[in-house]
Amino acid sequence: MGFIEYTADSMPALLGATLEHTVLVLQGLGLAVLIGLPLALLTYRHRSRGAVLAVAGVFLTIPSYALFGLLITPLGLGTAPSVIALTLYAFLPVIRNTVVGLREVDPAVVESARGMGLSRTQTLLQVELPLALPVIVTGLRVATQMILGIAAIAAAVNGPGLGNLILQGLTSAGTPFAVYLTLQGVIGIVVLAILFDLFFAALGRLTTTRGMMIRA
Amino acid sequence: MPDHMIQLVELTKSYPGQSEPAVDALTLDIPEGEIVVFVGPSGCGKTTTMKLINRLIEPTSGRILLNGADVTGSDPDELRRGIGYAIQQTGLFPHRTVAENIATVPKLLKWGTERVRARVDELLTMVGLDPAEYRGRYPKQLSGGQQQRVGVARALAADPPVLLMDEPFGAIDPLTRETLQNELLRIQREIRKTIVFVTHDIDEAVKIGDRIAIFSEHGRVAQYDTPEKVLSEPADEFVADFIGAGASVKRLSLTRVADAAVATDWPTVQRGEQPRESDREFLLVLDEGRAVEWLPRRDGRGGLPVLNAVGPDHTLYDALNAMLTNNSDVVVVTDAEGTYRGTLDMPAIQDLIHADDTTSVPRRATKGEVR
Amino acid sequence: MSTATRPSAPAVPEAARATRYLRIFGTPVALLGVVAALYLYVDAQDLDRIEQRSLNAEYLVSRAVQHLSLSAVVVVLILAVAIPLGIVLTRPWARKAAGPVLTLANIGQATPTFGLIVLFAVVFMTWGVHTIAIVAFWLYGILPVLRNTMVGLEQVDRSVVESARGMGMSRARALISVELPLAVPVMLAGIRTALVVTVGTVALATFVGAGGLGDVINNGIISSRDTVLLTGSVLVAVLALFIDWLAGLVEDLFRPKGV
Repeated sequence: MGFIEYTADSMPALLGATLEHTVLVLQGLGLAVLIGLPLALLTYRHRSRGAVLAVAGVFLTIPSYALFGLLITPLGLGTAPSVIALTLYAFLPVIRNTVVGLREVDPAVVESARGMGLSRTQTLLQVELPLALPVIVTGLRVATQMILGIAAIAAAVNGPGLGNLILQGLTSAGTPFAVYLTLQGVIGIVVLAILFDLFFAALGRLTTTRGMMIRA
Repeated sequence: MPDHMIQLVELTKSYPGQSEPAVDALTLDIPEGEIVVFVGPSGCGKTTTMKLINRLIEPTSGRILLNGADVTGSDPDELRRGIGYAIQQTGLFPHRTVAENIATVPKLLKWGTERVRARVDELLTMVGLDPAEYRGRYPKQLSGGQQQRVGVARALAADPPVLLMDEPFGAIDPLTRETLQNELLRIQREIRKTIVFVTHDIDEAVKIGDRIAIFSEHGRVAQYDTPEKVLSEPADEFVADFIGAGASVKRLSLTRVADAAVATDWPTVQRGEQPRESDREFLLVLDEGRAVEWLPRRDGRGGLPVLNAVGPDHTLYDALNAMLTNNSDVVVVTDAEGTYRGTLDMPAIQDLIHADDTTSVPRRATKGEVR
Repeated sequence: MSTATRPSAPAVPEAARATRYLRIFGTPVALLGVVAALYLYVDAQDLDRIEQRSLNAEYLVSRAVQHLSLSAVVVVLILAVAIPLGIVLTRPWARKAAGPVLTLANIGQATPTFGLIVLFAVVFMTWGVHTIAIVAFWLYGILPVLRNTMVGLEQVDRSVVESARGMGMSRARALISVELPLAVPVMLAGIRTALVVTVGTVALATFVGAGGLGDVINNGIISSRDTVLLTGSVLVAVLALFIDWLAGLVEDLFRPKGV
């Protein structure tokens, strides 16, 4: 039985694992945005943003297997430590790009917004965030690419996703299916990476309004 | 005695960690409907003072009165919606069209769509941009001068009685700056706002201002007076140094062409008519009241187009510039609509430069005349 | 040098220097603290036989040595290939190949490390476990160094290179004494990334039986012993943070003056 044939036969399992993988990554990313975005908004004008970025940087430096391992003690095995680990990894790109995007907004534009009587909140929502959005989307894109691969390790802590196919491949080493299962897992993740990249490229174009694309 | 639109009372701004305040107990009255220029070297506190007025910078102590009401403690956002604000870098929102930019404050004030649209077109026309063409453009599709026009239009959008302008023409090339200054004066004749204008350029101050406040340091005003007085009677050495040499040439920029002796005896000929004899080298060809061509007397062919005519709002300094540019010793003078009024020549301008200081300061072409 | 003779610096650089010192000395002190706390915690536990099998000095040191030597081999291989390749791909005659190579490397980066090492293990079963681990992690770590070498060389001001050539330097001479020194900061950042990534990915070597500190984490998960799991995870994390700190110091040290 060849790889194509085998994959056709095991399609439901493959699609199931792919869906699990997608959901896992979106949960991690979603949580990172839910926590990271407000954190960035609260600190981007303040000196404390340095501390926030440093802590997020430490998370990113901790190797994935170690971080998953550290989270098992408080959270047990399964989905919970997997989602949290991915969230912690996504923090740095999400927070850093939000901070950088907001700080890159021309101070003259912000000053004139305040000078015309837009409140702090109005300035943030109507001027700063729309202008920072393309940079923020780039952060999401980077974060997603990164955690798509890391999410494969979730299988090692009994988490969901395509990592399980890879792990099954490893445990069935020596049988012809070992290579097929591993390939399915790897290719599945690469395909997801490409699809997410296309999605974020489109989102990036959507959030860059016409006025910002024009070159002076 | 004019009403005072803005009154600054003992206004002080000090920053923690700095021994001397940025603005030190400044008291200044700004009359309604006038352009008051804050001018001074960098770091003198002129911009800080301006930002204290709309409380982009909160004063440490002192009071700000706007139209008689104390606004030192009022809601700063509400306050700013009633004060136009234009800055050197324009601060136009790059993600919004020209129309959306201008509509910012009207929308904050919840004007109806139709009213906003009409106001945008009215303002674009006022600042010399065709609404149909420019309404939908983005700031980056405009030249620096056009962006600045939109910036001024945006500042005027909700018809605020007060306009603050922070070096609005500072980053513009000299020729365009000249045009924008003239247009600001033209617009001001229509709208008669109380304008606080910050610049570091004394020439601009002299040209634009009804009054000039010369800042020395820490927001101290060395002299607060009309441009004529500042130029002819500097209050102290600092002011004298700051206005610098060449004050008599500067006086040229105080006199408007409208107030100068314009010669009306230049030989003219209507387009299509036979040139008649004259003692001048060139005849001026008029077409429907406009001067269009310099025609050589001798053979009546190969005329030169009339370039760089000056209008009533231009100063004698502009007229001198036009002559130098044209490599000619005479310039055509028109009225506001462009209709031929006469000519101005080099000797007339030289007379003014060399005239005796005390007697020759010409009556200033006050913008107030129209009032 | 005594502080008294030092010219007085303005307030702001003083604060910058304080954060710099904090970065230089704070990190190792904090990491030491974490390891000490871990030791005290484990020491206070009543370890059962399974836990003792992982949590003894001999075992931990052997895994750490495996981890570091495996990482060192991988990093050396990465540098040996990625830097020359990066230099070649930025030469005018090889520019055309640069795009495809980077695209390939980027796609490779999307491949999960975990998947890559398992794939090598199940496909090349006849290779030794160490070869499998080294090849997989080597492939994975090439991209950051390759990309930063290329970016670093390409961002060097063309006019600087031209003036070097104009002064009579040969192409090779201009590369060695002008282009490469100016590219060093960017290249070092890539090398630092590769170092940290490699030390982290080597923790996955345990899945193919190639040892390293990942063994300790793995033992902890398999035997459901939280103390073992915690020890392994903390040691791997501390090692990665320590290497990152060390590489950061080197980065500071080798940054050319005036850049």
